[in-house]
Amino acid sequence: MIIAVSAAAAAASNLLAGPERKLRWIGSYAESGPGPASKAPTRPASSAPSAAVTPSTGAADGRDFPPHPDKAWVEISGDDVAALHARGNVLFLDARRSSVYRDGHIPGARSMSVWEADIDDKVRQLFSEGRDQSAPVVVYCSGGDCEDSHMLGQKLYFVGFDNVLVYKDGFPDWQKRGLPVTKGDAP
Amino acid sequence: MSGPLASSSWLTIRVQFVLAAVFVVAGVSKILDPPGFAHEIHNYGLVPGIAVNAMALVLPWIEVVCGLALFLGIARRSSTRILGVLLVVFVIALGINLLRGHPVDCGCFGTAKVERTQEERLRDMKWAIARDIGLLLLVAQSLAASRREERA
Repeated sequence: MIIAVSAAAAAASNLLAGPERKLRWIGSYAESGPGPASKAPTRPASSAPSAAVTPSTGAADGRDFPPHPDKAWVEISGDDVAALHARGNVLFLDARRSSVYRDGHIPGARSMSVWEADIDDKVRQLFSEGRDQSAPVVVYCSGGDCEDSHMLGQKLYFVGFDNVLVYKDGFPDWQKRGLPVTKGDAP
Repeated sequence: MSGPLASSSWLTIRVQFVLAAVFVVAGVSKILDPPGFAHEIHNYGLVPGIAVNAMALVLPWIEVVCGLALFLGIARRSSTRILGVLLVVFVIALGINLLRGHPVDCGCFGTAKVERTQEERLRDMKWAIARDIGLLLLVAQSLAASRREERA
């Protein structure tokens, strides 16, 4: 009886919750600990919008970030992240909670919290934008033992992005370097 | 717990009030942020990914409903038993992660807002286990008292 009342209350509460508080009842989180996926997951067919686009990897800054189709993500340092940000055309994704994103994020980064109910829609939308899926995508969260960016990396890999770069030390390192920070909901 | 004071109704009422207050506060803090609590559950590394969200949604409500039931004197025995089972599960989950040296945020009273070091987390996990064992003693008192009441 108590369990049934609790489940009903949980269902009602989740139904009425806003997007930041809502959860899908069935979770879709990787069960293994940190570590790049070693086997190829189910990915969309090669009819992906970007399939015909020539991969862009190198740049004027001399750093090269080639695609890594055998790994869901590769960790990179703050120096690499700063260099990629300076290019101005690299996609940055913030895997932290929306409320934390609002308090301050890397300029240009889009909010994509893996813990919020709309994450799969956001990943699908990114896929449908027809981006070059071999171009570097920088994903970050709070550094340390934060796994959110790795989880987002897995999700992106599943839809075909094969050049996801995880900012190992995350946003705290960005702040430590005194790099610019944007506040609010907009990238 | 078999002495007259240990199972007196004076003490039992206060014990149940404390249990009710603790679990209502703990449950509400988690209900306010289900994705945050799902994150904490996932960090424990004990629950299959597919079940994390359902657990994050229902478990806080079980705490609140049991707490309110205790407070209002409805289904006191069932509520106390459920809270006892939850506390045992919490102690086991924290204990397993402590033994494997895997620091986690307890998540007992919602999402931790302050970043802590691994050492601080491991230390806090020990305190959380001690607190849960203390609450289990309150559960035991409450159940013993209700058993005595039933016999009388």
